[in-house]
Parts: sequence; structure tokens; C-alpha cells
Amino acid sequence: MKRKYAVAAIATAAALVLAGCSSTGDAADDGSAEGQDITLWLMGGDTPDALRDYLKSEYADATGGTLTIEEQGWGDAVAKLTTALPDAANTPDVTEIGNTWSPTFTNAGAFTDLSDMYEELGGDKLLKSFVEVGEVDGAQYALPYYFGSRYNFYRKDVWAAAGKEVPTTLAEFGDTVKALRTDSQSGFYLGGSDWRNGISWIFANGGELAVKDGDEWVGALSSDESVEGLEQFQELFTGASNAPVTEFDSTPWVNINDNDATGKPEAATIIAPGWAHWSIGDLAPDPADATKTVATWNDDVFGTFVLPGVDGGVAPVFAGGSNIAVSAASENQAGAKELVKIIFSEEYQTMLGENGLGPANLDYASSLGDDQFAKALIESAAGSKLTPAAPGWAAVEGAGILEEFFGKVSGGGDVAELAAEYDEKLDKLLN
Amino acid sequence: MTDTISRDVTAAAPAATTKSARTPDVTRRRISVPHLLLIPAIAILLIGMGYPLVWQIVTSMQEFGIQQQFGKPADFVGLQNYLTLATDPTMWQVVGRSLLFCFITAALTLIVGILLAVLMTAVGRTARLTLQISLLLAWAMPVVAAMTVWIWLFDDRRGVVNYLLDMIPGVDMNRFSWLSNPLTFFIVASVIVIWMSVPFVAFSAYAGLTQVSDEVLEAAQLDGANGAKRLRYIILPMIRPVIMIVLLLQLIWDLRVFTQITMLQDAGSKAGEFDLLGTYIYKLGAGSQDFGMASAVSIFVLALTLAISWFYVRSLLKEDEQP
Amino acid sequence: MTTTVALRTRRLRPGRIVLTILAFAIALAWVFPVYWMLNSSLLPNRTLQSFIPTFVPFGGSFANYANALEDGSFYSALGISLSVTLIAVFFCLLFAFLAAVAISRFRFKGRKTFVVAVLLVQMLPAEGLFIAQYKMVSSVGLLNSVIGISIIYIAAVVPFTVWMLRGFVAGIPADLEEAAMVDGLSRTQAFMRITFPLLAPGLVASGVFAFLQAWNEFTVALVLLPAEQMHTLPLWLRGFIQASATRETDWGQVMAASTLVAVPVIVFFLIVQGRMTSGLVSGAVKG
Repeated sequence: MKRKYAVAAIATAAALVLAGCSSTGDAADDGSAEGQDITLWLMGGDTPDALRDYLKSEYADATGGTLTIEEQGWGDAVAKLTTALPDAANTPDVTEIGNTWSPTFTNAGAFTDLSDMYEELGGDKLLKSFVEVGEVDGAQYALPYYFGSRYNFYRKDVWAAAGKEVPTTLAEFGDTVKALRTDSQSGFYLGGSDWRNGISWIFANGGELAVKDGDEWVGALSSDESVEGLEQFQELFTGASNAPVTEFDSTPWVNINDNDATGKPEAATIIAPGWAHWSIGDLAPDPADATKTVATWNDDVFGTFVLPGVDGGVAPVFAGGSNIAVSAASENQAGAKELVKIIFSEEYQTMLGENGLGPANLDYASSLGDDQFAKALIESAAGSKLTPAAPGWAAVEGAGILEEFFGKVSGGGDVAELAAEYDEKLDKLLN
Repeated sequence: MTDTISRDVTAAAPAATTKSARTPDVTRRRISVPHLLLIPAIAILLIGMGYPLVWQIVTSMQEFGIQQQFGKPADFVGLQNYLTLATDPTMWQVVGRSLLFCFITAALTLIVGILLAVLMTAVGRTARLTLQISLLLAWAMPVVAAMTVWIWLFDDRRGVVNYLLDMIPGVDMNRFSWLSNPLTFFIVASVIVIWMSVPFVAFSAYAGLTQVSDEVLEAAQLDGANGAKRLRYIILPMIRPVIMIVLLLQLIWDLRVFTQITMLQDAGSKAGEFDLLGTYIYKLGAGSQDFGMASAVSIFVLALTLAISWFYVRSLLKEDEQP
Repeated sequence: MTTTVALRTRRLRPGRIVLTILAFAIALAWVFPVYWMLNSSLLPNRTLQSFIPTFVPFGGSFANYANALEDGSFYSALGISLSVTLIAVFFCLLFAFLAAVAISRFRFKGRKTFVVAVLLVQMLPAEGLFIAQYKMVSSVGLLNSVIGISIIYIAAVVPFTVWMLRGFVAGIPADLEEAAMVDGLSRTQAFMRITFPLLAPGLVASGVFAFLQAWNEFTVALVLLPAEQMHTLPLWLRGFIQASATRETDWGQVMAASTLVAVPVIVFFLIVQGRMTSGLVSGAVKG
């Protein structure tokens, strides 16, 4: 939680002056990375401290320069990227960027073309869906950084008491969790506006959020497949979840643990990103600090399974994660590329995996380990899907349109009508 | 008190400018004292607000999105952005909602603030000090901190508000989600904004009330004026200047209230029906990167604010015209 | 005068007791959120997660504070916040005072224009301005600097301050000063001894206002102070809340952090409060 870096960012500014003033990124390509001091922006606290330290020391070894890492809050990142990336004097040289925002910034010309390094960095072994969102006209700008995907956590005790088995199809899943719902317990705890999970039902039924029609992106919420999926989602939410319709991106794992007051969980099942497993388990005071609570995973009580598809198999869930890119305005292109090489090195990729983050290079996916969490992550990631690679996708997210749409669907609105209405809203923003 | 405003009198100017201040002469050719006095304020406004204001006006007439932010030339579209706004029902819903929120909240703030100020004059020292200190503490709470506490107080699971309401027999507020429904969302927002703004109003009104002489009130009482009448005919007119400026400030603040709403949205819902003008502009700009439209809405809000504060501007200009 | 005062105190109004109780009840309600912040900041997170609220922090500790202060970032943010706020308040009061004197004591060409312009400027919503502000501040190399953001804050608060001070300046009869000068004081002396003390409550009130605006602001700061070591307290607190948003909110620690951000303001208020009341008392004597 507290990762603050006592590093002087002013050093970056000084370095810019020393590096000379070439206004185009390409011109600096021929320059040497030697002694370039660069800045890396990381989003949120997902990259552990050990990895940050590794990047800094590797970068110093490789170039003799200093790497400054600045952490940006997810909530404010778009505003900051929008202002800083075009500004040569203050841009981060390398930045992590939410995978779904990549098309917007890539299309705007915010990033440096990394096509010439693509093969060297891993080429076809890099996670394809993430590569695609950073691609314009066949050139590679933003590359995958790490991925995570969502799978289900369930209470074995609650399921067993009700005589339920792990489902194999999406319909079976829906029926099971609906049967498990009581007034004080959600069969499946899902926020009504939680579109990042909700879209799995669209994807599972073969629907899309938006499709490319010629040169234009258009909303596809009202396609038959999407409506089918949305109706299933609506039925599931009303029948199985006690969460408010407005809840989005919640912290559902608090509901699957035993509640302090009642000694019972409030949810029999949740869907959450893989790292949530650190927060799930039997609760007890932290031996190191009695004011805190730690959760210890208990295989007898808790279990995992991936969301099943319509006809069995694995449902395509939302692929969470980030991309990484070099700022086109950066005057330290050589240093920035050096850092990108370090990030795509076997050693760093392995470190990502060991920390539960899906490595960009799938050759190193085995570093995730072979426990049930790693297996569920890899299995769910295999079928996972990303939001459309439309230039205006960040605008769609920024405007909160999907939260609003899913909230209305959860609230019991007419799915077909709503889908048509929101397709129109998407059309305005996508291109 | 205000009748001295327009008197053309010799300045109470600070030391540096005293010499020339002795005989103010408007028609004099060289830079006059008042102009000198205004230079720092005008300079800082030009530096700090001039460019942003001009940028905003220019951008409001352009198609300015993220591509333009990264260097693509922006197309001049004239009043197209404004036309789009004028024909957008969502925009008018937000405007209506904002005006409603602004008027209700500002009015309640003013009423509660003045009543508390009157209460302060009516009770003993201990009670007054206790009230003043508690208002002061509330006023001192940084907005981000205050919002965090309030959001927690209204939390659907562990919130004290639901816990206390639930204890009332016959009331079932367990798990009541205040922030899920626009009506209760804005009630909560209004309560918080009133809580934050009342101290300022109460203290200003109290300062005004201490200027109302006891003799006048006693005389009125002897003449048979009851409490309400005294408030209506003596106290309120006497503190009118204070009230006017406080009302203006509340209207301006409440119309474009941003921090409170955006933090409540983070805790509740980001859907459009929870937007007021402040968050609407922010979503258009920082969220959707449609800076042209965001600028157009900003300019519109500027005009709207001017319209609802016209009562004040007009009284100011009138005051000026008096000899 | 003496008789009316005597009359007042002698007569014990029955309504007065009700009003006193009312005053205490309102005071209690108003201060509750502040109390709740303090209370929670002293309780361990385990207690706070319970569905039954704990109203009195028995067995509480300062552990949350220790955790919040652990990495020292609070002190750096405090330093930045104090510098920005104090610079903004000082220059804002100075500039606004000069302008207020000009518009309330002089008639001159362009006065009305200035009055209306100032009024207009403060009505512009700030939420759409961040790109322009960023470009401007960045182009002169003042990004991540106390000076850059202070200039924006001064400009943002000066209009309101001009308005508030204008009333106060106008409220002091210029005759008072003239009279003092007839008594042999120089204009400077007359100003310092007569006008300035009468203005003190006005300056304090406007200063408090400017202080709160600058202290609380975070949307502009977010964009103009992107470097972490330049964060002001609201940004620090926001970072704190956001950091815990990805995990379950550590309310105890967030409340402790909130309290830490509130304390300097409360201290500031306690310092100026004495002056504000003394100013008000002098005003009351005059009335």
C-alpha cells in the first residue's frame, strides 16, 4: 500500500536538457541509452516492490542511468496521461496503461512504434489479444505488460450443504447459484453495474460490445447474441445476487469470507481477479499485528472453478491487465527501449508469474506455478477476451456508459430497448 | 453600513501610494491610484485565469478530442458544439437537476445558517461557544476527509446511519443502499453539502447580527413585535448585505459542486442520472476526452451562473449608479 | 442602555432553556462526523469491520496513526500543502485588499468593467480547465512546483476575496481616518491605527476562506503536481483511499490519515478564531 519513492524527478528534467533537444522520437533512436535518466509510470499497486527494485537496478546496470518509478492511481490516470504524454518536458518515458485504453492512446499517436523490436521482445509468443489493442495498421505501439483474468471462488461448505456440484455449463451455473440465494446470502454476489464481469455473458453467447463495420466501429449490444447474454445476466442478477444495482468493481471477497457479526458468509459464490485469493479464507487476527485481520485459505471451505461456457468448456471472461508503451514525446527513446527490453526479459517475465501476474510472454506462463489458482488463471485466460480495439474505447469507459447500461439491465429494464439505446451512445464515442 | 460604499471619498490607501491618493482625480492623464491598486489583482487574474479562459472559449468552438491533444490540428466548428448541447436531452436533464439541487441546497443552507446564528445570540455563553466550536470543527474538516467519513456513515452495511435508523421500531433500514437511487443519492449529497456550508453562513450571519443594536430590538419588542416579526422586519434587513453575498457564494458553489459528487459517485454509481454539471463536464473532458464539448458546457455554466446571480449583479450595479 | 441590559438578564425566559438544549443538541449532531472520524481512527480495523458500530474507542490505540505516518510521505505532503496554502493566502489577501480599496474608495474609469470581470472569472467551472492550466504551467517549466500551483490558486481565490473585503472596506467610514489626521496623525499612522484594526476581522474572515480553498483543492493539484513527492495533503489522502480501494478499505487507517489532514486546519482556526472574535467584539462595541 505504501510505495513511495524518494527519487528526484527533477533529475529527469535535467537529463532532458543534457540529452539534447531532438523534437522527434525517431531522431533519438540512434542515440545511446548510456546515462539516460528515465521515468516509468506504473498504474496502481499491482507491480510488487521487488519487481520495481529489480527494474531499477537492472536499468542502472544496463545504462548507468537512473530509473524513476512513479505510481499513478487508476482513477486519475487518464487525465494525467492525457496531459503529460504529449508534453516532451514532462512525459513519462515508459508507461503502463490499462489494456482497454491502449487503442485510444495508440490511435492518437501517443506512443513510439516498437515494430522493429517486436520479434526480439517475444513476437508471436506475446499474448495476442493484448498485442492487438496496441496495434495500428500493422505496427506495434503498446505491448502487453501482464494479464489477469477472472474466475469463480465458492464456498464448498455452503454448496455441499445444498447438495450442489460444480457446474459444467453456463445455464447450470445460473440455476445453481439462483438456488443458493437466500435473503441474507447471495448465491452469486455480483454488482449490478459490474460490467467487467457482466460482459462474460455477452461473450459466452457469441456477442460483442462493438464490431468494426468497414472503417467505423459500431455498438453491438443489440445483436441477438448480445441480447441473449444480457437477458441471462439480468436473470442471474435478479435471481442470485443481493448486491445493489449500482455496485461496480466491488470487493466481493469480503462477502465470501465469514461475516464477523453472523459467522456466515454473505455470498456462496463470487467472481474475482485471481489475486483476490490472498484475501479469501478463514479470518484470524494477524499474528504480527493484532489490529489487522488475515485470511488463510482453507481448502475444505473454499474452492475455485472457471466460469463454464454455454456448451460447457470455459466461458470467455474479461481479460484484465495492462499494456506497456514508450511515449512518442519522450526524448530518451534509447533508454526507454532499454527498459522495455528488461521488462520482456525471461527473468522479469518469470518474476511477474511468480507474483501471480500473468506474464506477457506465454512461454513463461509456467512461472505462475501449478496450484489451483495458477491453473484457474491460465484456464480462464485462455478463453478470455478484451474490450473492442476502437479508438474511442477509453472515452466509453471514461463516460461510465457501461456501468450505467448494466445498472439499468440489472434494474429490470427491457434489454432489447436498452441495448438499442446504448448502442447509439457507443456509436457516438467509439470512433 | 453600505451607504458609504459609493461615497467619493479620499482613499484609505496603504503607505506606498498615500501621496498621490490625497487628491483623487478621475480625469487625470497619468495612471491613477485606483488603477495602481488594481494592477496586482488584474495581473494575477490575467496570468492565472486569462489563458485558460481564452483556451476554453476557443476550444468550445472546435472539435477537440484526444487526437488534437496529441497534436492533430483542431477543426473550427463555430457554434456546432453549442447546438449539439442545446439539442441533447441529457444535457437539459443535468441542467435541471443541477439547478434543483443548487436552489434547494443553497436555500436550506441559508435558512439553517441564519437560524443557527439567531440561536447563538439567544443562548448563554456556554451553549453559544459549544455550538460555535462544533461548527468550527465541521468547517475545518478537509473536503476529502469529510467525504470519506460521510460515505462511511452512509455505508449500506457498516454505516452508522443505517444502524441507528434500523433501531427505530418499525423501520427497516438494514442494508439500505442510499447511493443506489438518484433521489436518496442527492439527499445524502445535499445533507453533506449543507453540513459543510452552514458554518460559513452561520458565522457570517452571526457577525452581521452582532452589529444589530440591542436598543432597536428592545424598542421593537416594547412596540409589540414578536420574535418572527423582529426577525423579518429588523434583523434580516440589517444583515441583508451579508446574506446577499453568502447566498451568491452558495449558489455558485452548489451549482458546480464537484468534489462531493464525484466522491459519492466513486462510492455509489457512475451512471448519468447521478451527474450534476461539475461531474458532467469532468466526464466529458477527462473521461471521454471530448474537450470541445466540455468547454462548451463550461461556458454555458458560466452564463447560467451569471443568470442566476443576476439579482446580485444588478443590485451591485445599481448601488454604483447612486450619486 | 444599562437598563435594557439589566432587564434582559433579570428576566429568565422559559424559552431560553429550550433554546439552550436545542443548541447543545445541534452542536452534538454537527460534530458527530468529526467525532466519528476520531473515534474510528483509534480503533483497530477488526473492530471497524464489525456490523455493530463501536461508539466509544475503549481499548483504542494510535496504531493507525503510526501506520499512516510510517513512510514519512505525510510530512512531505504537509510541507507542500503548508507552503502552497500560505503563499496563496498571503498574496491573495494582499492583492485582494488593494483591489478592494480601489473599488470601494474610488470612482474611476473601468471600475465597473473590473467589477463585472472579477465576478465573471469566478463563475467559470474549473473542471474543464485542467488541460489549459497544464499547458500554461508546463510551458513555463513550473510543473511540479509550489510557485506554479500557487499562482493558479491565487488567481482562483482573488475574486471571491475581493468581494468579501470590499464590503469590509466600505463599512469603515473614511471620515474616521480623516478625523484622526485632523488630530495630527500621518495618513500611514491613521491607516495603521484606525482602519487596519477595524479591517482585521474582514481580513481574517477572507483569509480563512482563502486558506480553506487552497487547502482542500485537489483537482488542479492532481494535474499540476504529478510527481509523488510534490503531492499536497488532499492528494496524499486520496492516494491513501485509492490504494486501499483495490483491497478492502482499511477504514481505521484512512480515518487516521483524514484526522492528520484536518489537524492543521483546526490549529489554524484556533489561532485566528481569537482574533476573529476580538474583531467581532470591537465591531459589536461600535454598533
